[in-house]
Amino acid sequence: MSYLNDLVVDCLQFERAFCGAECPFNIDVPDFIGKLQQGRFNAAYKTYQHAVGFPGIVSSLCHEPCKLVCPLKDNGGAISLRLLEKAAMKYARSTNPDQFNMPLKDKRIAIIGGGICGLACALRLSTRKYDVTIFEKSDKIGGHLYDVADSKIFLEDIELQFSFESYSLVLNSEINDLKELDFDAIFIATGKGGSDFGLLRSNDGAYATSAQGVFIGGSITGANTMQAIAQGLEVSNAIERYLKIGKMNQPEAEKGTKLTLDAIRIIPNDAILPANADLYSKEETIAEAKRCLKCKCDACNHYSPLLSYFDKFPRRVTEEVEITIVPSSLDGDASIATRLIATCNQCGLCKEVCPVNIDVGKFLLESHRTMREKDKMPWAFHEFFLRDMEFSNSDAALTKLPEGYSKSSYFFFPGCQLGASDPEYVLSSYRFLTSRFPDTALMLNCCGAPADWAGDEPIHNRTMQQIKENWISLGKPTAIFACPMCKKMFQDYLPEIKGIFLYDLIEEKDITVNNKFKEIAASVFDPCASRHEPELQNSIRKMATKVGFKLEPLPMEGKMAECCSYGGQVAIANPPYARYTAQKRIAQNDNPYITYCSNCRDIFTREGKQTWHILDVLFNLEQKSRETLPSISQRRYNRLLLRQQVLSEFWNEQFTIKNEDMVIQIPEKLKEKLNNEYILESDIQKVIAECEQSGNKIYDPAKDIYTGYMQIGNMTIWAVYRTTKEANYELINAYCHRMKIED
Amino acid sequence: MADTEKLICSKCNKELELKRTNFSYLGHSFFTDLPKCPQCGMVYLSEEFVKGRMSEVEMQLEDK
Repeated sequence: MSYLNDLVVDCLQFERAFCGAECPFNIDVPDFIGKLQQGRFNAAYKTYQHAVGFPGIVSSLCHEPCKLVCPLKDNGGAISLRLLEKAAMKYARSTNPDQFNMPLKDKRIAIIGGGICGLACALRLSTRKYDVTIFEKSDKIGGHLYDVADSKIFLEDIELQFSFESYSLVLNSEINDLKELDFDAIFIATGKGGSDFGLLRSNDGAYATSAQGVFIGGSITGANTMQAIAQGLEVSNAIERYLKIGKMNQPEAEKGTKLTLDAIRIIPNDAILPANADLYSKEETIAEAKRCLKCKCDACNHYSPLLSYFDKFPRRVTEEVEITIVPSSLDGDASIATRLIATCNQCGLCKEVCPVNIDVGKFLLESHRTMREKDKMPWAFHEFFLRDMEFSNSDAALTKLPEGYSKSSYFFFPGCQLGASDPEYVLSSYRFLTSRFPDTALMLNCCGAPADWAGDEPIHNRTMQQIKENWISLGKPTAIFACPMCKKMFQDYLPEIKGIFLYDLIEEKDITVNNKFKEIAASVFDPCASRHEPELQNSIRKMATKVGFKLEPLPMEGKMAECCSYGGQVAIANPPYARYTAQKRIAQNDNPYITYCSNCRDIFTREGKQTWHILDVLFNLEQKSRETLPSISQRRYNRLLLRQQVLSEFWNEQFTIKNEDMVIQIPEKLKEKLNNEYILESDIQKVIAECEQSGNKIYDPAKDIYTGYMQIGNMTIWAVYRTTKEANYELINAYCHRMKIED
Repeated sequence: MADTEKLICSKCNKELELKRTNFSYLGHSFFTDLPKCPQCGMVYLSEEFVKGRMSEVEMQLEDK
């Protein structure tokens, strides 16, 4: 699975914040700030102290390059990191350095130059208990700091940081030749204009020279004060590596960041200015820290419904999916990411918001296919939807040229759910189309999305083949879609079939102003499959405005369109997620929505949001309410009804909807339960018929009721019923389970 | 299972008795004692059992 690593190789999740990348010390600013935000001054100070070595000196002298790259620079003022650092130091419980009780090491290091760079190196190495000697040509330590700062401040800090460490200091000692020094390693930190002993930086490793065991850094190599301190701290790692393994090839520390401003959600807010000159109070410190955006790339985690729900990033997703697909547990069946894989809506938003276009959705779909091939994806997650698709493509399917035509220029492909939601959508649309283009054919079929989402390539391929054959039989016409998802599926899997939208053919003169909608404030909810259909998104808005609506934008629309929760058909695999997602979508504002996907419309209506399908508006159809939404059983019946009605109206043909002989009375409350639990009323009929025919049923004499079961597909469905005089049977209860009864 | 006494297999006209019943799901097998016809083996699963313990095990297997 090399694709796994390829997928996340560019992920910016762990990229440094802009400020930290600009900082000579690479301070982990989000970590430091996070501690200050919680008022943990001591912990914040420790982070700072470990990063800079001499916090007193750095917090007084830092020229704050971080401020130049802070995204808040032009949005209220850059974060005052230096002042926050000073505050952390001021309010920390103790500013003493840590004391490490470790045995002394027998390696000796000479540092030439007692300036702040040499001292920084000495601090790190002496903390690690190496034997360090500083040779300083003058009579005092501190070097060029005397030119830029008050000696009281920096000498105090140097003394403090060396409180628990010792090193040998040789003053008034100018080294003229490195041969004078018998040490295991040498660091040249002679300062600006100092001697380099004829050595240059080599490219072999960080701070390395061409001489074995000799390193160089600080102002002599052009560093400013802050860089000199940072280099002194950093060179200690290169020296230690040399002392341990004899090589000077310590890699240069990575600088900079690949983070981009696009990935940051900037919330402008005004800088906090200290009331007391150059020092924040505790409250001011916390307030200023809380302004920080803690810049990091988390766009997918923030926007993707899946990644935010599971609180995961692509790297973690790929790791968990890999161990699920290629199980490494002893019994070889650990599959921790199964539900995660099956919960992806396939909406494409993760890729859209990713600065480096990582397509987690595509990866999860491929993983879904692998899981299904290995028979590791629980069948229950998709069986209902696959059976529903099979129904659309058999009992309710129809491919037909209009009477009198042997081929057509267009065929209307309404998709299976539009007619399931209400046959009138398809009838009105087809009437309109045939009035404009009389040779328009009709294809009632499912676009294959359920099989694609289930990762079931064999069924999907068969469905694509069936559509293709139907299309050829119609004379290879252009498809007219009502549903953006159908069009997307055709684009992905049947690119030879060109397609347009029904809405492209509705002209301005076809739309009449409707007083019913006049001045109603509403928002267009773009279905996720319309993400890359800007013209469609615009024309829907134009039509809604022409009818009379006063449109207001949603925070997430256009390219940022979100899935209503239907995508991927995740409602059985993860019901709480589907509900949570739908609730979030309808809470974007208080306006009613106008949408152009019947699934979005039905889901929002069920969740209690007033939502029109654009066809409700254009053809002046009755708006659905939660009460009038069709159940899963009615959705099947509606598709048969649609077939019956189009055949009668457009072809003058009769189609009889087969009614089972059996009449079953089902109380309304129970119908609701069946709908919620994805149990079809037609399946209940089959269960009772089977029980009655075989006699395999349990009798409860106290209640005078029968209970029996039947396995339909993989699901076992139980019916509790009684015989009545009025109806043949009355259903008392029904339930189903995924486990198979073996005997 | 006090209710067992009240349940009768319609086909054999026998009262159900608690007997070992086997199940399988996602390649795993289980068994438990459930009301069953002593003659033909017709089993009875209450909604309480299906929605309770059985559903829990189904979920655990899916997430295993």
